Amino acid sequence: MRFNLFRQLDGAESGGTAATSPLLAPPHAAHQEPTGPIKIQTRDVSVFYGDKQALFDVSVDIPDKAVTAFIGPSGCGKSSFLRCLNRMNDTIPIARVKGSIRMDGEDIYDKALDPVLLRARVGMVFQKPNPFPKSIFENVAYGPRIHGLTENKTELADRVEQSLKRAGLWAEVADRLDAAATGLSGGQQQRLVIARAIAVEPEVILMDEPCSALDPIATAKIEELMDELREEYCLVIVTHSMAQAARVSQRTAFFHMGELVEFDDTETIFQNPRDKRTLDYITGRFG
Amino acid sequence: MTDATLTRAGASGRSTAQLRKSLKRRHARERRFKLYGVLAIAIAIGFLALLLGRIIEQGHTAFWTHTVQTEVYLDPARIDPAYPEGTNFDQLVAEQQLARLGVQDDEAMSASRDMRQLMSAGVAFEMQRLVRENPEVIGDRITVTLPIGADADLYYKGELDGEGEEQFRRLNDRQILWLDQMRDQGRIQGQFNTGLFTRSDSTQPELAGVLGAVVGSALMLLVTASLALPIGVGAAIYLEEFAPKGRITDIIEVNINNLAAVPSIVYGLLGLAVFINWMHLPRSSPLVGGLVLALMALPTVIIATRSALKAVPPSIREAALAMGASRTQAVFHHVLPLAMPGVMTGSIIAMAHALGETAPLLLIGMVSFVPGVPEAVTSPSSALPVLVFIWENASERAFHERTAAAIMVLLVFMIIMNAAAIYLRRRFERRW
Repeated sequence: MRFNLFRQLDGAESGGTAATSPLLAPPHAAHQEPTGPIKIQTRDVSVFYGDKQALFDVSVDIPDKAVTAFIGPSGCGKSSFLRCLNRMNDTIPIARVKGSIRMDGEDIYDKALDPVLLRARVGMVFQKPNPFPKSIFENVAYGPRIHGLTENKTELADRVEQSLKRAGLWAEVADRLDAAATGLSGGQQQRLVIARAIAVEPEVILMDEPCSALDPIATAKIEELMDELREEYCLVIVTHSMAQAARVSQRTAFFHMGELVEFDDTETIFQNPRDKRTLDYITGRFG
Repeated sequence: MTDATLTRAGASGRSTAQLRKSLKRRHARERRFKLYGVLAIAIAIGFLALLLGRIIEQGHTAFWTHTVQTEVYLDPARIDPAYPEGTNFDQLVAEQQLARLGVQDDEAMSASRDMRQLMSAGVAFEMQRLVRENPEVIGDRITVTLPIGADADLYYKGELDGEGEEQFRRLNDRQILWLDQMRDQGRIQGQFNTGLFTRSDSTQPELAGVLGAVVGSALMLLVTASLALPIGVGAAIYLEEFAPKGRITDIIEVNINNLAAVPSIVYGLLGLAVFINWMHLPRSSPLVGGLVLALMALPTVIIATRSALKAVPPSIREAALAMGASRTQAVFHHVLPLAMPGVMTGSIIAMAHALGETAPLLLIGMVSFVPGVPEAVTSPSSALPVLVFIWENASERAFHERTAAAIMVLLVFMIIMNAAAIYLRRRFERRW
């Protein structure tokens, strides 16, 4: 009941007529589907930027073969937490991460573990589409190339094709693989970036507000894609749009002021939240 | 209520008037500023045109030179075929020139001396070579085209004339008469001065060319580029992409910025002390010059490269790292290629700067007179800007036009470098 009401509110907020567009409706009733086993387990993860603590003791179990959404107001730490999962925080000199993050039982912050290897297993898609300023083919081929995943050119071309197909971009770019990736539209670029991540066959794909720079139609396409990808991958998305979280995710975590307030099935979060802050946020009372 | 409405309307009327007034003022200010800008550009272009115009006006004559066609009887009595260098060809040619003009040489041989002065010092070399290569011509009467002296050349160009008192003139009345006669006989020909580009420095202006200095400058730039570019770009990449940010990197950054502002003559002193006095590298060599200029160019290259790297959007780095690229891969596959146009531009500017640098070269002995073309980076050499400096100080009138010509060669050298920079930039940009 509340869930439905909320969805309309959010749609109206992000662009009037879009709310009634069939494109924005969930691809199918995903929320009842079972999720896979636990893929990533975090315990008491805290993130510090210098002296400032951005994240406080976050413990979540992220399931495989499902979409897990992180929602919350700006600056709540959801992106910081996401960046812990592939150790992208390592690239920020002043960032420090405490606590334990295990992927398939393996501590990803173990000193013996090479973050380069981790990032091959945990792909990431950013808020702004960031294709390399090279050709479409080169973008997708880059990962397999640096990781030495293919033996020869035909294999590489096959993999590029497969990845583009899985990202739903093949039909649009098949005849211009040598064209500049930067010439694609924003939505196409974002799917290209997803194809690029898929090409290294990761186990987890992190998406940091992947649709916030896209128009509703492009957004719908990415959401459809997420729904397909979750059959094979563990997807974690950060989103500002609660409607999006509701549409695509099976599990939702609500962050507020660097704390994990609530983590549950998406349906539960949106229809029957336990915490008052969650209720306030999803009904639009703040954030 | 009506009162209030009226007041409001009145107030808004006033404020519109005020707005209009201030708008007028703002537009006037904008027009004034545009005018200043146009004025500034006009002044800059004016000075540039003045400078270039002056150089071209002074130097264009140096690209033109005159020769005299003359018949020479190669008297076997005076030429030893085994040793043609022993023959005084200057005198031989002068005497025969006089004979053609119907002038009898006097006892003191002052007429032939005057005639010798009209001919280039290169006459003897050309005749010697001719005879050595074709000894069979000895005893023949041959027609040769010979270079004339710098003063005679200037006379034909209209730069010297017969005005003023004879004793203070470069050419006396007799010489001027002869020059006119030779021209009337149709034996004087003007031609492009190839010698300017095929010869090196000489004490005789008509024999002086820029080749040695051009080769010296090129060798020096080669040394500078092969040191300053890899070291500078490497240092910049390390500082920008890998070095932990902290106190030490801050200190290094400040010092690099300071070094870029150090006067170039200080680098010359450093080069003198380190490369010549301590390391005993050969003086006046392009090697030492290149080393000094490399030191001088390094800060510029580092600063330019760093700012080019900084301008690459961080999203590209993130994209590469998130793909599982190592830091080095992210930098060399993505960041550096994107920064390349900026790196190229900065580097070429630094190189062009180094090319025009004179002061440090004076201190490491490159100011000496070097008549040959340097064969290696260790052989003594001159450089273009130093050649300009030397020629400008020369007393012969004919060196003045050659100074301007050397400046033009230097400028063309720089234009070629800049054109190469633009071309490379375009090519790298097209590769995105």
